[in-house]
Amino acid sequence: MDVVVGAFPFMVANLSLLLEKAGEHLLISLIPLLAAILIGVPVGVWLGHIHRGEFLAVSITNIGRALPSLALIAILIGMVGIGMLNAMIALFLLAFPPILSYAFQAVNSVDADLTRAARGMGLGSFQVLMKVELPLGLPMIISGIRTAAVLTVSSATIATIAGSGGLGDVILNQVAYGMEGVVAAALWVAVLAILIDQFFVLLLTLASPAGVKHLRRASVAV
Amino acid sequence: MSGFAPAGDPVIPDYGQASNCVIDNGVFCTDWFADQWSSVFWPPLVDHIYMVLIAVTIGFVVAFTAALIAYRKRWLAGPIGIAATFLYTLPPLALFQLLVPFTGLTLLTVEIALVCFTLVIIFQAVLAGLAAVPDDVKRAAVGMGLDTNQLMRRVELPLALPSIISGLRIATVLTVSVATIAAFVVDSGLGSPILKAVSSPFNTQFIAAGALAVLLAFVLDGLLVLLGRILTPWTRVRV
Amino acid sequence: MTDTATATSATSARTSSTSAETNSSIVFDNVTKTYPGQSAKALDSLSIEVKSGELVCLVGPSGGGKTTALQLVNRLVDLSRGEIRIGDTNIMDLSPIELRRTIGYAIQQSGLFPHCTVAENIATVPSILKWDRKRIEERTKQLLELVGLTPVDAWLKRYPGQLSGGQQQRVGIARALAADPPVMLMDEPFGALDPITRMAVQDEFLEIHRAVGKTTLFVTHDIDEAIKMADRIAILKPGGLLAQYDTPAEVLANPADDFVAEFLGAERGLKRLALTTVAEVLGRSRARADDAESRRAPMSSPPEDRVDWPVVAGTMTLREALSLVSAAHSHGARVMDGDRHLGDVTLHELVCPPATAVDARGTAGVRS
Repeated sequence: MDVVVGAFPFMVANLSLLLEKAGEHLLISLIPLLAAILIGVPVGVWLGHIHRGEFLAVSITNIGRALPSLALIAILIGMVGIGMLNAMIALFLLAFPPILSYAFQAVNSVDADLTRAARGMGLGSFQVLMKVELPLGLPMIISGIRTAAVLTVSSATIATIAGSGGLGDVILNQVAYGMEGVVAAALWVAVLAILIDQFFVLLLTLASPAGVKHLRRASVAV
Repeated sequence: MSGFAPAGDPVIPDYGQASNCVIDNGVFCTDWFADQWSSVFWPPLVDHIYMVLIAVTIGFVVAFTAALIAYRKRWLAGPIGIAATFLYTLPPLALFQLLVPFTGLTLLTVEIALVCFTLVIIFQAVLAGLAAVPDDVKRAAVGMGLDTNQLMRRVELPLALPSIISGLRIATVLTVSVATIAAFVVDSGLGSPILKAVSSPFNTQFIAAGALAVLLAFVLDGLLVLLGRILTPWTRVRV
Repeated sequence: MTDTATATSATSARTSSTSAETNSSIVFDNVTKTYPGQSAKALDSLSIEVKSGELVCLVGPSGGGKTTALQLVNRLVDLSRGEIRIGDTNIMDLSPIELRRTIGYAIQQSGLFPHCTVAENIATVPSILKWDRKRIEERTKQLLELVGLTPVDAWLKRYPGQLSGGQQQRVGIARALAADPPVMLMDEPFGALDPITRMAVQDEFLEIHRAVGKTTLFVTHDIDEAIKMADRIAILKPGGLLAQYDTPAEVLANPADDFVAEFLGAERGLKRLALTTVAEVLGRSRARADDAESRRAPMSSPPEDRVDWPVVAGTMTLREALSLVSAAHSHGARVMDGDRHLGDVTLHELVCPPATAVDARGTAGVRS
């Protein structure tokens, strides 16, 4: 109990350290996340639009979920060596599956009657995508990004074993920072994860078309 | 708890006579894996299975009960859901470390954290399954004179089973993956051979332990699919 | 084979029923329902009596409160004011659960339990009433025969997902009849069926109803269904007010007000013709005129001018026969029962049937 109380004076005394580590943490989580979004969303949306690759999307999700982040990071130590690059590749690989499969499902599962009606009204394939599938699928696409974001922030803590920096450095170095430091950093990571999660909840609310607010029930995404 | 930063060059673990593959630190050395199976991999695998089964079982009991309560008292669904989501969002390693001051470097710490991760998934799956029971079926059941408990036992729960099983599958697979991180707290589970090999980046040990975890996840997932098929025969019949 | 089996089970179903002897009427006494938070009444001072063994249809546009009226009876909805009695019992004197177990309930889409086999579905109420296994099994088989799902063994183990809409509806009816309730509530039970299946299931249900004699309250939005099925029709208008409660014949002949007339539609006159069969007209006009022509030999060939008259069955309604006559551009139809020639009906007889014929069913309907 004293340790937990002691974590707060530690935060005050070591604010600059924690800020620096939190900055690193965000850097190594957000860059791979951004990369995964830039590749995963277009690919997933396109596959969903042409209704191909269901098997691929499902398999990638399953493997992504089962793949222990620790093992992935460790394997990359052997293949890439230590440092930030290793961590970022590992986090990219973790973020990619949920983003891709959610984007795929989001577009693929848009009611076929709706897209047929849109085509019937004379909309071209691309217009159907832009006017019907994307607006309706957007909440689910964001759900996928939200899942991936929480996962990367989470796993970035472990990436420290690959020498990537971040708050994991403090959490896993009781010798240097004491148990107070470990708990303080753990609290920071926890708050960071929750803030990121809430940010996407907010984004989800803003992105949902007024008529489909109920779709937000896609809620915690796994 | 420190010193995970790896040294520069691979340090080959001295497990007696080494093959060329081991000396070159190849991607996967089958001979070494076979040699070390019973000492390096089998015991952590067994520990890992126990760890996962205990966590999922407890998580299921807790989340299932909570979901039933939330289903009866709708206003509780929000608060319980938010609490569970909150626990789920916490990075596993952070949660482990936050528990250590209270429960120490023990298996208890690990199990508490693992249970926390299963809660939200199973809770939502049970609740979603119950909510998806068609209204006309419920109305017919109530109209025939089933009381609340009979409705739950005979109609709502059986019809929620497919959703409950799929929640259990996701929770199990995730727990297998997260349980590797338990190695930071206790020397147990498949994370432990990985952590031990980090300081001397030895590929075979990482890959073998990682692959075993993935394999275990798929096997448990398969077993749950099988269980689902046995429990829900009506979902497979179509004219 | 099937027919005898149906007949036997129908008889035994009736024997086990007590509805024929004891009073199982449903009485609405000044019943009003207002849903919380709504100012408009869903049902306004409804007073009707459904006599023992009678089939009464509740019809009306949406918002007329017909489903509300039905669900008040098995207390899925609670009364605001007034009283409902089944037999001599006020429904408020029983617990809802107890009450519902004595009332058969069938709804649209059948509400069958998708995870239970046909046998398990039918056994739902008997099993919560703790009947013994053998009795449940016998009852299940008996009911499947009654609703025409034979051979019984082929259906027992199927799941609802393996049945067509019509078959599901039959199982739904069997399930509602399972514990032999004296009273049946049916909420648009055939609403989701295609027209052809619906006709067939309606016919079967009428037969079952005649065989088992349950007091039945039947909600439908389809006035033709009500005319076909009901002994009496209760027409509700928006606001839950009763517009008219009478036999189909009387409702069609003398609509109480403009609302009823409009609800019955411009084809009211034709609908009325659906109440009488060709054989009935033949019987009336023959009894009346008793002319020599109608005693004609069964196999005689038709006179020159009637060769191209269409052949109709005695069981056809006047409306159906008229449709055939119109299509054939003829002035009448020849009525056959298999090979036997029963007589001829003229266009005039079809359009203006002798009064007694139209009234026949109306008077039979009210068993007072």
